[in-house]
Amino acid sequence: MSALTDPRGAVEDLTRPEGWVLGVSAAFLLFLLAALLTGALGPTYFLFLVGLAGMYALLSFGLNSQWGFAGLINFSVAAFFGVGAYGAALFTASGSPLVELFEGVPLLPSLLGLPIVGLVVGLAVAFVLAILIGIPTLRLRADYLAIASLGLAEVVRLIVLNERWLTNGSAGVRGIPGFFAGWPVLGTFPEAMPGLRLEVIPGSPVLLETAFWQALLNVLLVLAFAGGVYFVLRRAHRSPWGRVLRTIRSDEDLARALGKDTYSFKMQSFVLGSLIMALAGVFYTHLNLYVGPGDLDPITTFYAWVAVILGGSGSNRGALFGGIVIVTIREGTRFLNDVALPIDPAPLRLLLIGVVIIAVMRYRPQGVLPPQRELIWPSAVDGGGAPDSPDSGVREQKGGGGDE
Amino acid sequence: MSEGALAKQDPVLAVDDLQKSFGGLAATDHATFGVERGTITGLIGPNGAGKSTLFNLISGFYEPDGGTVEVNGTDVTGMEPYEVADYGLIRTFQTPRKLEGMTVREAMLVGPREQPGESFRRLFTSPGTVAESESANLAEAERILAEFEIDHLATQPATDISGGQMKLVELARAMLAEPEVLLLDEPVAGVNPTLAKKLKTQIRRLNEQGTTFLLIEHDMEFVMDLADPIVVLDQGHVLTEGTPEGVRNDDRVIDAYLGGGA
Ligand SMILES: Nc1ncnc2c1ncn2[C@@H]1O[C@H](COP(=O)(O)OP(=O)(O)OP(=O)(O)O)[C@@H](O)[C@H]1O
Ligand SMILES: [Mg+2]
Repeated sequence: MSALTDPRGAVEDLTRPEGWVLGVSAAFLLFLLAALLTGALGPTYFLFLVGLAGMYALLSFGLNSQWGFAGLINFSVAAFFGVGAYGAALFTASGSPLVELFEGVPLLPSLLGLPIVGLVVGLAVAFVLAILIGIPTLRLRADYLAIASLGLAEVVRLIVLNERWLTNGSAGVRGIPGFFAGWPVLGTFPEAMPGLRLEVIPGSPVLLETAFWQALLNVLLVLAFAGGVYFVLRRAHRSPWGRVLRTIRSDEDLARALGKDTYSFKMQSFVLGSLIMALAGVFYTHLNLYVGPGDLDPITTFYAWVAVILGGSGSNRGALFGGIVIVTIREGTRFLNDVALPIDPAPLRLLLIGVVIIAVMRYRPQGVLPPQRELIWPSAVDGGGAPDSPDSGVREQKGGGGDE
Repeated sequence: MSEGALAKQDPVLAVDDLQKSFGGLAATDHATFGVERGTITGLIGPNGAGKSTLFNLISGFYEPDGGTVEVNGTDVTGMEPYEVADYGLIRTFQTPRKLEGMTVREAMLVGPREQPGESFRRLFTSPGTVAESESANLAEAERILAEFEIDHLATQPATDISGGQMKLVELARAMLAEPEVLLLDEPVAGVNPTLAKKLKTQIRRLNEQGTTFLLIEHDMEFVMDLADPIVVLDQGHVLTEGTPEGVRNDDRVIDAYLGGGA
């Protein structure tokens, strides 16, 4: 808001790391634009990457609302992601074993194939799973959830791999429609759009065809998902609800002594985060149009943790930033391989992530964009007559002296 | 039966025959006493006498092996700490608790109980109510900080203030929870004399306004000046209870402190 009315003031108000992130992001965008215009980066593939970045951002948002808010250690990000992805895939794919299973059951077959049903089912299964794992562990010390979730991730992966009557096993699920299939207008939008041929730089035309418009729809979808989640999390983070979670993260006994039902708060945080992870999975299904047991590998959990720690635990914009960095490293290494280095990209990727993590831990242990210092319901701070606006809060380096 | 508990006219807290052991060690050994409404009751005893354990049992942090705890006439034995808090009992901790990443006034805002904004749903269904109560709580927090003469700390990081100031903030925050009886575990341990005096004034003032206190303290001058009656604990059981004068001159108390045991 303030950035629109007073752009210069907004820029001056940034802390150094924020300015730094802004600068690097701008440079990165210019670089991408150049790659797009010269044809080095295909526009459809680029949009796929944006979708992937949005998906990682969602995963990081989910983990952030567990670990960053309440200090819950969840090592089964991949499981909740997978439950969302498989829930959506099995209920929408033409190749889904569910089609056979439900044959003859009244009403049910007509629900199959609707992406919105897949979305609801994916989220519902994640909800139940989160409660089931939360009930025995959230009353205990933090390490119990960590261990149980580690086990859960493997259990879900093995079930998906072995219960072939339900999941198709290692072959995965194919024949998944786009999320908007069957919707009025949007369902036929990609086919209805004309193919476009742009030639900004003579000799290297950029073609925009059906696949491009399909990818564009996916980007809009993930923007809607991530935007909605960001809105919810930002409000929750600054609220008394978020404050109780942060108290639990710092010192659960203190929250208990002050009369907070910490078990209930931890459960809410855990369920919320798990739903967001499942939402990421639902989106992934309709982005990739194929899901397999490989999508449930622990590496997904690892990436989500790296993204949250990198961005700054507890910070929603940090989680967004971390998600984008992960995709850049994951996909950028493919290019490095094409262009210059005769190295296998997979180990290089992990090496790069390792280096980034060590550098961040060494020079900026709180993450690149840690949460603003003060999180009070915005209008309350305004009403209280405090001079600092809710958007600037009490920032690092400016902290403390702000009220004199 | 328990003469200590029965002797009270209007006990806000009644502990009856409470027991707790850790392995072979009876940390709380059939302890019985009561806290009369409106008093500042002191709880003293040598190191390891079981004072903090007793607080943990009363406030629901530990499950007793036997005996009962009543708050305002309700049996709260075995309840969760948040349920005990609902009956009007709030406790602080011996070691100051730090809230990382919060400013002082933010840390204060954890205090008020049953805030509408603590319901996730209401953040979205009735943001207006949430905002109203948050404004009111913020004003109240700032008022109490001003009363405690630490309002200049309001926007400092809660981890950057001195140990003594932290104790003041803890007391101020506990008051925001509007307890009927407040249990303080060593409120002036490690606090410089000036701040200790301030704390004493505040506790007395809050007591005059109606809050009942039960406080553990090793600083004899502090506790003898502030509290009446004083309960003496030794090896998990109540040795005696009396006025500061009476306790000071009791030979059994002197023996306990000199390490002789009972
Ligand atoms: N959780 C526990 N597990 C095992 N033993 C414990 C535990 N808590 C307390 N104890 C033991 O119980 C006894 C009483 O401890 P407690 O902390 O209640 O004493 P205290 O009177 O508060 O002492 P101080 O004045 O030093 O704070 C001690 O011997 C202590 O070691
Ligand atoms: Mg103690």
